[in-house]
Amino acid sequence: MNIRKCARAVVGASLVLLAAAPFLAAQEPLATPGGPGLRYEIWVELDAAGKMLHGKEEIVWTNPTRDVVPDMLLHLYWNAFKNEDSAFMRESLAETMFRAGAAPGDGEWGWIDLTDIRLADGSDLKPGLQFVLPDGPETAGDQTVARILLPTPVQPGESVHLRLEFRSKVPRTVARSGYYKNSFFIGQWFPKPGVYEEGRGWNCHAYHMNSEFFADFADFVVHITVPEGFVVGATGKRTGAQADGSTGRKTLTFSQAMVHDFAWTADPRYLLIERDFIADREVTAQEYRETAELLGLPLEEVRLPNVKMILLIAPEHKSQIDRHFKALRAAIKYYGLWYGPYPYETVTMVDPPYRTGSGGMEYPTLFTAGTSVLASRKALSPEGVIVHEFGHGYWYGLVATNEFEAAWLDEGFNTYSTGQVLARAYGAGALPLRFKGFPLDWFLRLPRVFDFETDRAAAINVVRYDPVTAWSWKFYDQVSYAANVYMRAATLLRTLEAYLGEPAWPRIMRTYHTRFRFRHPTKDDFIGVVNEVSGRDMTWFFDTFFEGTETFDYGVASVSSVKVPARRRGVYDLDGSREEWTRKKAAEFEAARAKAPGGEAGKDAYLTTVVLRRYGEARLGGDASVRVLARFEDGSTETRTWDGQARWARLEFLKPVKAESAQVDPEGVWLIDANLANNSRGVDGLRRSVVKLMSQALFTVQCLLHFVGSWS
Amino acid sequence: MSVLQAVVKGLGSAVRKPRLAVILYVFNLGFAAAVLLPFFAVVQSELGHSFLGSNVRPVDVMWLGEAALKYGDAAPAVIGQALAAALLYFALSLFLNGGVVGRLLDREGRTTLEPFFADCGRYFWRFVRIFLVSLVFHVLAFAAVLNLLSALIRPATESAVTEWPRLILSNLHFLIALLLLSAVRMIVDYARIAVVADAEAKVLRALRHALKFLGKRFFRAWAVYLLLALLTVAGTAVFYVVLGRFAAPGVAGVAAGLAWMQAYVLFRAWMRTVFVAAQAEYYRAHPY
Repeated sequence: MNIRKCARAVVGASLVLLAAAPFLAAQEPLATPGGPGLRYEIWVELDAAGKMLHGKEEIVWTNPTRDVVPDMLLHLYWNAFKNEDSAFMRESLAETMFRAGAAPGDGEWGWIDLTDIRLADGSDLKPGLQFVLPDGPETAGDQTVARILLPTPVQPGESVHLRLEFRSKVPRTVARSGYYKNSFFIGQWFPKPGVYEEGRGWNCHAYHMNSEFFADFADFVVHITVPEGFVVGATGKRTGAQADGSTGRKTLTFSQAMVHDFAWTADPRYLLIERDFIADREVTAQEYRETAELLGLPLEEVRLPNVKMILLIAPEHKSQIDRHFKALRAAIKYYGLWYGPYPYETVTMVDPPYRTGSGGMEYPTLFTAGTSVLASRKALSPEGVIVHEFGHGYWYGLVATNEFEAAWLDEGFNTYSTGQVLARAYGAGALPLRFKGFPLDWFLRLPRVFDFETDRAAAINVVRYDPVTAWSWKFYDQVSYAANVYMRAATLLRTLEAYLGEPAWPRIMRTYHTRFRFRHPTKDDFIGVVNEVSGRDMTWFFDTFFEGTETFDYGVASVSSVKVPARRRGVYDLDGSREEWTRKKAAEFEAARAKAPGGEAGKDAYLTTVVLRRYGEARLGGDASVRVLARFEDGSTETRTWDGQARWARLEFLKPVKAESAQVDPEGVWLIDANLANNSRGVDGLRRSVVKLMSQALFTVQCLLHFVGSWS
Repeated sequence: MSVLQAVVKGLGSAVRKPRLAVILYVFNLGFAAAVLLPFFAVVQSELGHSFLGSNVRPVDVMWLGEAALKYGDAAPAVIGQALAAALLYFALSLFLNGGVVGRLLDREGRTTLEPFFADCGRYFWRFVRIFLVSLVFHVLAFAAVLNLLSALIRPATESAVTEWPRLILSNLHFLIALLLLSAVRMIVDYARIAVVADAEAKVLRALRHALKFLGKRFFRAWAVYLLLALLTVAGTAVFYVVLGRFAAPGVAGVAAGLAWMQAYVLFRAWMRTVFVAAQAEYYRAHPY
């Protein structure tokens, strides 16, 4: 026998066995008792040269509802990158503002083919497979959702066991999935059922440009085969590794229970570093005590577990390893203390490979950050993205809201939370401006800002376009989507926080998170918790600000003080006679009063009139009101409240001195107010800072003119 | 004359004629104030009575967000006006260049307003023509040379596996662009000097004089120009370092900061005269 032939036969037999292994080894992968009603076991092999994935997948789905389910809808997300007829590509190409680079170049398209689909008993389901358009005929041509007709409907509590085979072309990075040279980031890559909702059927939307994802909690076991030299990171914990010297490939197994997605990355250049989050080192006894007291919980319930932190980082960013871990530790600590302990053993942080465009994205127990070789320490980058993406482990990962239909429930909550963590751990960050790759704050003193400031600046500018609660792909444009679901929602949550105050607000957030962990809550669930914990009906707040598109703006229109004359002029009837108080008489009366012993003049009175206006259409509801603070020349203050329902209100103050200023919302509760400049009005008109500001503007214009002149 | 001698002599000439820098400064200040006046009215009406005006910062994100909301729709008009103002200032600078070059080359002449503006008028159209001719050099430098350079470095950046090649090459590209620009600006400067020094009415002939002059000592002349550019950069660095010390709140701090900014603008105007003076000295010292 020819040795070469023999070797080929052995390899061939091995491949057959490898292909059959899923079906031999996993005879009956049932759902974990007490766990989610869904289980995946996936075998996937990366063809790095051909940019292909070859996969086998077993899905066990248990019907958790009282419905009889005749079919199953599967997401085939990568077909969004198949051609320009997909909903994703159509929407990207129609986008006017940030369209550049949306579509792959020639030969760079990605797709997924279901090559075989059967029940566990071998029944072939492929003939009944068809692409469907759950989001209506306007998405015609889209192939990101497929329907499988089951031979026997699944009864309540019954399970269906599917065996699938698929092959996928990895796209040249689009929407954070794909390859660049030998670097791969593989997200949304496997056929995945939608979420079955009782009475509503399958919730399984097409992949849209402005949408992220929605899936059910599941137990995952995934076997990833890659070339030997690749470093792999994935959702969950590595539970096995096997090298095959004959093929120069290795298979790594990752497992994770109770997550709703699985992503992985492979790159031969990654440095892999592991460190531990040791809770007792990160959180002091006093911090635990204060948190428990604030949340009204026993001390044991706020204690944090240790977590294994894994970092995959590009070698050129090696000097930033400590920065990455420091930010991650802060995130694990504060999200854990405020919302509940991180429940998984590991978290994997990926510094995405160059040009894979996969930075800043969340997956269960794994997220991508993103940095630059020249990174400023003042600009909180990559810290901001690390905190944000880890935070999605809470808002999306654990509280798994529907990102298609209510993106603000994860993005808004997480943008709000990110700002809180960054402010606590780092303070304000410099604006992340760069020139030719260099951070500008290396050369200039850039202003430092808190996230809530930039969030508000964006938020007030998009109120008129869409409600925060619009479905992801139904926003006016990408800017409106991003600014509404991230910044405006975060600004509104911060407003609500300031309005409800402590301890109500932290308890609301904690209750909402813990109650809906491993579930799919909606806006109404959150409102329910707000009302329940605060003891107030705040439904109006959500109707007005989250559902509405009207500007909210209260302000002070004018402040004036006039001296109240001791005697008013005119004709008066006194003791049966009629007397006219002339200008002269009134003046003489005033003069006599002033000269009188006992300082009558000190009893002068001034009537201060403050006119308030509701400039916007939006108005307060429930028992809410705006506070108005008037300050007087003698240093005294007086506070009133206004329900804010009318378009304007006039407040009068009778005091022995003139007013100095008036201010609505002096505590700055209503951050969503579109014009904070008109919230206060002083009597004196010229402010030093305005002069300084304009002088600086003058200087800037002078320098620009010099620049223009230098070309002449 | 050595490179250093040219710079020193140029500094001396500019020191002897400080009035030229003052004239440039006054025009700059007046023009900038006129451009900003409407904005000052807006800012004053928005913030003049507001507490926000008490702590507003130069880049105040909160207030900028509000301004964008209120005046965002006026952006095209503002941009249009800014472009018109830039164009107008460009023409004004071209006009003032005549006075600066004319007075600096007239060693014994006075720098009062009358002869200054007489020179402005005398050389204006010739300088306009030099500018138009210089567009050819700009096109050559930027459209041809830099595009060629971009095409050369593109394969290296496109095949990179880290961001370093792109970072290094794009900065190198930028540096070369600056050097090319400085060379073109230098040629234009010498053409203007030739117009005045050689009393040349024909622009193309003046340009030929300049090119002939530079052809014999291009790199030394360029060194003069770059040394002056370096002086400007050094002065700018000193300005920003010192400005940082005026950050303290209070009337005195604010006033000192503002005065320092205006001193810097005056320095820039003065450096413009130094550029002309040093190059004029160098030109005269080397008859071609």
